[in-house]
Amino acid sequence: MGSGRVVLLAIAAGVLLLARCTKDDPAPGSGCDLTGIPYNPTPYTILKPDHFPQVPVPAGNPQTAEGVQLGRRLFYDPILSGDSTMSCSSCHLPQGSFTDNKAVSKGIDGIEGRRSAMSLLNIAYATNGLFWDGRAAALEDQALLPVEDPIEMHATWTQVVGRLRNHSEYPELFRKAFGISNCSQITKELAARALAQFERILISSGTSKFDLFTNGDAEFEDEELRGKLMFFDEGQNASPALPDAQCFHCHGGITLTGNNYFNNGLDSVGALSEFVDIGRGEVTKNPSDYGKFRAPTLRNIALTAPYMHDGRFATLEEVMAQYNDNGFGVSNEDIFVQQIGFPVTVGSTVHYSGLTAQQTKDVIAFLHTLTDTTFVNNPDIQDPFQ
Amino acid sequence: MLTNGVRCFCLYQTFLPTLNMKHRIVLFLLAALLPFAACKDEDPVTNTNNFTLTFRALYDGMPLEKYTNYSFGDKQVLYDKFNTFISNISLIKDGQEVLLSDIEWVNFTPDSAPDDRAVEVSFKYSVPDGDYTGLKLGYGVRADLNAKKPSDYPVGHPLYLETEYWPGWSSYIFTKVQGKVDLDGDNTPETSIFYHCGSDAVYNEATMNRTIRVAGDAALVVEFDLKKLFTFNGQLLDLTVPSNQVTSHDASNIALGQKVMDNFKNATILQ
Ligand code: HEC
Ligand code: HEC
Repeated sequence: MGSGRVVLLAIAAGVLLLARCTKDDPAPGSGCDLTGIPYNPTPYTILKPDHFPQVPVPAGNPQTAEGVQLGRRLFYDPILSGDSTMSCSSCHLPQGSFTDNKAVSKGIDGIEGRRSAMSLLNIAYATNGLFWDGRAAALEDQALLPVEDPIEMHATWTQVVGRLRNHSEYPELFRKAFGISNCSQITKELAARALAQFERILISSGTSKFDLFTNGDAEFEDEELRGKLMFFDEGQNASPALPDAQCFHCHGGITLTGNNYFNNGLDSVGALSEFVDIGRGEVTKNPSDYGKFRAPTLRNIALTAPYMHDGRFATLEEVMAQYNDNGFGVSNEDIFVQQIGFPVTVGSTVHYSGLTAQQTKDVIAFLHTLTDTTFVNNPDIQDPFQ
Repeated sequence: MLTNGVRCFCLYQTFLPTLNMKHRIVLFLLAALLPFAACKDEDPVTNTNNFTLTFRALYDGMPLEKYTNYSFGDKQVLYDKFNTFISNISLIKDGQEVLLSDIEWVNFTPDSAPDDRAVEVSFKYSVPDGDYTGLKLGYGVRADLNAKKPSDYPVGHPLYLETEYWPGWSSYIFTKVQGKVDLDGDNTPETSIFYHCGSDAVYNEATMNRTIRVAGDAALVVEFDLKKLFTFNGQLLDLTVPSNQVTSHDASNIALGQKVMDNFKNATILQ
């Protein structure tokens, strides 16, 4: 083989490489290099009330001011949906504590999903699986899913990443957040990391009436106080004694959820396989988990109607009416939903009375003290495009 | 014991996150000292994570399964939750306690379990070679640790868990056992039973004597038998009595919780 041929081959190979490069990389050649833009990420400390536990942040995705800003922008940008009409915020609106106040959500094609959009308040603390059934492990994994979900944003990541790489502003924002040197390095994983960083700052302000009361900075009305005592099963020393509402067993802790999975007694089924939505069972495949769902946070619950995974209840009164029935005796129903009220011995067994109308009102009054308007109005978490 | 990866939750769930900076520094120092130790043959051999302590849950000698009917005297019971905190886990050598861990949370029924079988929960510790004469366990959360609350602990610490804390008692819930008993005789347990035991007064420690030889890798299995936990002086707890069905939420009424926690040592079996 003569040297001329080698040179030719080398040139051909070089051209091929270039061609491949342009194909992979939809950004215009010169616009691709980002190294001229400084990369000085600013560590970001998540603000939280003093009485809240430390916020878990995965080592692989440290919070930076630039990452949070990018994530916020992506969260509110319809660029993530197939027809560029829908953003994460279409279903997770700040005024609804990051829900859409619909029973079930509709995607870009107008198709209704089967479940209700979940509040993202204090989502950073949810480390026992995400979604109603816990099928996503971390926010970084979760954020990848709505974009390609046919009944949600119905795009493909290839499409979305192409748009981001060719965008007039995003390459610079990705550079500042993650230090990429070329827009071809924008990936869905980096977009998901930015979204997760933004979601982790969605923490309570600590100024709900409940928080102020907890810290000794506000007083409760009588009915709120009675509601709180029943909610936390602390009413036996009240005068007259109050029954246990048992709520805190599942909705306990600072975020008012332990993020565990329960059958909270919503449906009367003959066999566990008869649940319309088997929830947690879809993930574990264990029949004993059929019909279990993750207990959601009750913070801002007055702002997130309708309620439950399928939005079946329009009001908190309807929710309480359900709980007052003490379940249906389905085999995997949690024992605590069967023990709301005072114990009543009937023959050899013990039943529970449910709450009286006044006690029910008291618990609902307490639930209203969990409203955190400072959080929903926090300027740092609003739509940056407005 | 560690061969069954799915059922060993230790490394993923409990051990790694609890390996805090202090532990890491200690491990690092130990590793750094290794070459020196090797030169002086009288020094104890230092091992890293060589000792595996595994907890198992049983009912009447058989591995516990959730939602499974067991005979409890002339009654049927089933359980759906069993977890407990263990403090001051120590091996005994020459009459001295060698502390392995201040606190662990042993959750036999995690949400992530693939089926109804109670999972085995394992922890790894670094234990010098030698002959040990026993294992000490503290049932519950030691008072100094129980004086704090979840927000005082770092992410990943066993006591960071808010689900296991009850502000009404200012205490962790040391042990949770939940289930149902069949009182109407139709073989379907319908009446809830739950034992949530907490507060400093119910904490207790016990030492189980047993020769434990550590030479390199070693392992010990500790079993808790729920039937034994509810057997007092040879008598099963009478579940027809309502006050025996549930522990009180009244922090001043800890009698049943105390009884159960005091009985833990009698329900503990070293394999
Ligand atoms: C079409 C409406 C819709 C859109 C758009 C949408 N979501 Fe959701 N979101 C939902 C619904 C419905 C659920 C609950 C689904 C389930 O459990 O199966 C949910 C659940 C979640 C959860 C889990 C919360 C928890 O407590 O476990 C997170 C986090 C989340 N969405 C973030 C996002 C992000 C980030 C985007 C944008 C990339 C987004 N969502 C776009 C409707 C939507
Ligand atoms: C056994 C655990 C358990 C107990 C006890 C319990 N809950 Fe729930 N709660 C859940 C679960 C699980 C869900 C979600 C169920 C679903 O959507 O299918 C839920 C949902 C709710 C919702 C709707 C939340 C939303 O975002 O849609 C409200 C409100 C609520 N519970 C309030 C209460 C109150 C008040 C009490 C006490 C009277 C209580 N719960 C007792 C487990 C429990």
